Amino acid sequence: MPNAILKGRLLRLCQKEIKETIRDRRTIVTLLLMPLLVYPIMSMALNRFLLTSGEIDDGFTICVSTEAERELLDSWLSNPLSAPPKEIIDSSGNELAKFMVSVDEDTSPAEAVERNDVDVGLEISNIETSFPTVTFYAYRGDSVSLAARRVVVERLQWLKLADAELELQRTEPEYRPPYQVNVTDVGQVAENSLLATIVPLVLVLMTITGAVYPAIDLTAGERERGTMEAVMASPVNRGYVLFSKYTAVVIVTLFTAIANLLAMFTTLWASGLLGLLTGGTQFPWLTILQMLGLLVLFSGFFSAVLLSLTSFARSFKEAQAYLIPVMLLSLTPAMLSLMPGVSLTGALTILPLINIVLLARDLLAGTVNPNSAFVAIISTTAYAAAALSIAAKLFGSDAVTRTSEKSFGSLLHRPREVSLQPTPQAAAMMLAMLVPIYFLVSNGLIRFIQASEDTSVQIMLLLNAAALVSTFGLLPLIAAWLGRNRFKTTFRIHTFGPLAFIGSILLGLGAWAFAHEAFVLAEAMGIGGLSEQKIAGAKESIDKMREASPLLLIAVFAVTPAVIEELCFRGYLFSAIQNTFTPLRTVVSTAILFGLFHVLTGNALLIERFIPSTLMGLVIGWVAYRTGSVFPGIVIHFVHNGLLNLVVYYEEGVQEILSVLGVGFDNQTHLPPLWLAVASTLVVVGATLVWLSSRGRIKAQAALATGSDQHDRKLPESTNTADT
Amino acid sequence: MLIVESLTKSFPLDEGEVRAVDELSFSVQPGEVFGLLGPNGAGKTTTLRMVLGLVKPDSGYAEVDGYRTADNPIAVKSRLGFVSASDGVYPWLSVREMLLYFADLYDVPPIKAAARCEHLAELMGITSLLDRRAGTLSTGQRQRVTLVRGLIHDPPVMLLDEPTRGLDVVGVQTIFEYIEHLREVGKSVVVCTHRLDEAERLCDRFGLLHAGRMQQTGTLEQLRQQSGHNHLVEMFVELLRS
Repeated sequence: MPNAILKGRLLRLCQKEIKETIRDRRTIVTLLLMPLLVYPIMSMALNRFLLTSGEIDDGFTICVSTEAERELLDSWLSNPLSAPPKEIIDSSGNELAKFMVSVDEDTSPAEAVERNDVDVGLEISNIETSFPTVTFYAYRGDSVSLAARRVVVERLQWLKLADAELELQRTEPEYRPPYQVNVTDVGQVAENSLLATIVPLVLVLMTITGAVYPAIDLTAGERERGTMEAVMASPVNRGYVLFSKYTAVVIVTLFTAIANLLAMFTTLWASGLLGLLTGGTQFPWLTILQMLGLLVLFSGFFSAVLLSLTSFARSFKEAQAYLIPVMLLSLTPAMLSLMPGVSLTGALTILPLINIVLLARDLLAGTVNPNSAFVAIISTTAYAAAALSIAAKLFGSDAVTRTSEKSFGSLLHRPREVSLQPTPQAAAMMLAMLVPIYFLVSNGLIRFIQASEDTSVQIMLLLNAAALVSTFGLLPLIAAWLGRNRFKTTFRIHTFGPLAFIGSILLGLGAWAFAHEAFVLAEAMGIGGLSEQKIAGAKESIDKMREASPLLLIAVFAVTPAVIEELCFRGYLFSAIQNTFTPLRTVVSTAILFGLFHVLTGNALLIERFIPSTLMGLVIGWVAYRTGSVFPGIVIHFVHNGLLNLVVYYEEGVQEILSVLGVGFDNQTHLPPLWLAVASTLVVVGATLVWLSSRGRIKAQAALATGSDQHDRKLPESTNTADT
Repeated sequence: MLIVESLTKSFPLDEGEVRAVDELSFSVQPGEVFGLLGPNGAGKTTTLRMVLGLVKPDSGYAEVDGYRTADNPIAVKSRLGFVSASDGVYPWLSVREMLLYFADLYDVPPIKAAARCEHLAELMGITSLLDRRAGTLSTGQRQRVTLVRGLIHDPPVMLLDEPTRGLDVVGVQTIFEYIEHLREVGKSVVVCTHRLDEAERLCDRFGLLHAGRMQQTGTLEQLRQQSGHNHLVEMFVELLRS
């Protein structure tokens, strides 16, 4: 199917979903009425609260029964000795609580407290003697009343203490207090702190309320209306239908959230509370922009998660039953943002929802770490993709139609039939698993190496290889087994000609020069770049590596990544993506994924690796497309890595030879023109050889594609097998 | 044309399993109306769902114009029209929007779809309803819209699941006319129903389905000779008793 037609069709499918949900009056209620009503009411409540707390400034109220009692209490409280020591007053904001004492002869103080007329009731017996007994009444469970009583009791306690001290000093002039107490504050009050703590919670609430109704309506609602079967009976790709629904849910969610935001800021502005929240006098344009960006992230995430859950459901009721726990669960991480001391680092950067809540907090507080933000965004995108792939698998599926109890398990059921390639959904699932597992394995490895100083270089190298095999090697293998995909076609294990082989070697020999240039360029543009510290660290580890034999180095840093990463990226992922996308998109998307995974190494993000690795991914991807095989990519990858490793290993010798030849260069500068010319020649010749070797194959494929049925998009790809 | 060959499907129960469809075979020629008849739970709907690729058969296959459902579901689905009594509409879309949506699902080019929409609407007498919101339609109107929807991509094979369920006399008459139209334009039609009296008037050939097994197939004349009964109802009663 031509691309433009597909685009138009997909656009129309999206339009239908949006129309259907926007026209629904119930959507409008959540979309507009909620924010229009809720925020003014909330602001009134807030105003009311501020007014009430203003009353507290006028003092706590105390009720006594007689004028004599009032006089006595007043005399105590107005005595400067009843004030707490200076240190305590300083640490509690220099404010001394005030009290308003009233006399009510008709009601007992206890009753007055019980009726909530006053905060504290007071009775003084034996008032005539010099040893009166004082009883305070407070309302059980009422924090204001209890606090008032605590304060007044404390005041009397200070008074007693001061009296005792005076008495002591009179009788014992030598008396000194046993110790002196001083108090000091540390740390800083963060700017925007109130906004940064409240907004993440508000964002979660906004996006969930926005997404719930459309998500249910467009999935479970379809079943309930009786339109599901007709849609499933049509020849449309289930992924398209679900993608249209996802688009509609995200758009409605965004609208709801924006309406919420507008209502919230307008209300705050109108009621003069905006400054209080943002901590500034200027209108917070930047904050609003940041919140819009966060909204896209939040709604993208929640829409996918909610859709994947409502796809299980057969009715509105069932869908609601699934969603309520999720909504409650989502509020817990949102509360995290209210806790100081929890920061967006380590494992928290990949924890779903928690990572974006913390990201929202840090972004608004202006303390965000770009590396952590990057990991949080990438992993959230991966989770959303995984949720959507689950939804696409379950939406309208037989499993859901028949028995809901079996539908969760069906995710792990191997299909009965063997298929040639994995589905894009399965690939998305695999990637979503790969992100956290790779993160844990590589971090674990680094920790292990750091913890044990005496591990030999050999063991370290082997562990490195094992980490790669157990992630990029094992996961695609498991995924292919679970999907019952034929290994030969999934990992694109096909033979290729000698021309392509020679071409690949030449490409591998020449490509590094361009990767190097991209690296230098990225550094000049300020993307990543190596700090002095990083370079020193790298030098140290290179020196350590020299203890191992060059063969082991080649095995670990050239053979293993070449085989494992190629089977993963140009094997499994390539065949999965090629199943649905054009060759160009397949090459580009696998290259970007390849680049991204090279950024995610352990705990440090090597952003500077993104551009060179993606570039390599593009070259290898193109070769993989032309030859229809994973092997030439392995050759390029191996030659490239091997070359770099040998150069590093024999650095001194190499530098010597180069300087003798007069073509030496530095690690961080552009290559001399001669080098670039040689490398370009290698790449051009290599690419030409690959191109020549695969002309016949591509032609045959094109002929088959045009000759085949219009609806049958899977056929052209299967020529991979026919070709070999 | 449609060929169903040895279709078999079992569903797991708490204990053991139930064989919903058992070695079912039949074929329908262009211009022929085949009645797949049987009481509730005989396996009629499951059979249609297997033909459509909504349920995977344990064994056997369905073939439409030379394409098998299991091998080429997209080619099969685009050649099948499907209308069921339980079909609903999108309440917030206009009738036209809904019909064009299904045209998109079937990958009918937009210009062709618009023309076909007008043509079929005129044929089924729903032209005046095209811009009404689907949620406001009466049961009879809704049924006609659904019938048009099933034909929007001009499929050579039509599958009708209990098309007369819940309809009044006028509604049933509409179905009769619709099926007559399908026969005229040379579609292969499968009608699943338990209304044997209606089936007698509608169909050219019959398959009597009971407990997932095809008991008898043939024209009304052939069935009469085989069974010695005059009406389908009598034949079925005997079948159920034996």
